[in-house]
Amino acid sequence: MAYSDKVIDHYEQPRNVGSLDKNDDTVGTGIVGAPACGDVMKLQIKVEDGVIKDAKFKTYGCGSAIASSSLVTEWVKGMNLEDAEKIQNSQIAEELSLPPVKIHCSVLAEDAIKAAIKDYRKKHGGGDEA
Amino acid sequence: MVSFDPTADFFQIFALDRGYALDRDALERRYLELASAVHPDRFVGAPAGERRLAMERSSALNEAYRALRDPVRRAEYLVKLGGVDLDSSDPETGAPRPTQAFLIEMIELREQLEEARGDDDAVDELRDAIETRADGALDDAIAALGRGETPAAARALVVHRYLRRFLEEVDGDD
Ligand code: FES
Repeated sequence: MAYSDKVIDHYEQPRNVGSLDKNDDTVGTGIVGAPACGDVMKLQIKVEDGVIKDAKFKTYGCGSAIASSSLVTEWVKGMNLEDAEKIQNSQIAEELSLPPVKIHCSVLAEDAIKAAIKDYRKKHGGGDEA
Repeated sequence: MVSFDPTADFFQIFALDRGYALDRDALERRYLELASAVHPDRFVGAPAGERRLAMERSSALNEAYRALRDPVRRAEYLVKLGGVDLDSSDPETGAPRPTQAFLIEMIELREQLEEARGDDDAVDELRDAIETRADGALDDAIAALGRGETPAAARALVVHRYLRRFLEEVDGDD
């Protein structure tokens, strides 16, 4: 599998690897998996005044999944939740020039940020919207 | 000429009953017969179209044989015949999503593995425990297939894939 330069860059020097305290009220945690390959991803955001101040991830999977999650954590820092929620896997795939067989890896990152936002909202009485 | 219909399902190709339990000898025998019938060597002097066809049949045959011979792939294939494609992420017909608790556990297992690194006994213990669970998941899938319960079999096979993936990491260098 030939990876693009951007994938290799994020893979070799992933940004924001790590964990935030999942019990902290200002932290939202998203944990998702790709059943087809068994890869798993954890993505966490720290939110202040509706803005994402920090983001961390841990991805146990292929290079494209690592790069996708690394990229998303970079993107969402400084974004408000509404904008972060709009991130689409197609934007990730385009930025990283992912080939069609690796699209599901970027889907994983989209699912993860959405799940993290949902978890944060749930902690703040935002209910459980689909 | 032995008949070989590449559009038939893998069990039909080998004239076997569809099901997890398999008559291995019959599979081997039938495979050898068919393989020699469609072997590209037989078509060296044939027109290009026929040669290409022989090539395609030969690779379709090998694919079918490998899928049936492998216990995990056979179970996954039966689930596919039942309408669930584990390689797809389609919400209707693709691999069923595992529970959130299970995914959290998969992350925690990695953290345990990171801590265990360097301590061979601890790594072995973790590997053994997960291997046992993976075998159990496959057994569950086989039992579900026996009852004709495709969704339950699909769920167990997804669990099996996640556990296998973890085991690859245990023995890989990442
Ligand atoms: S191959 Fe599974 S996430 Fe990329």
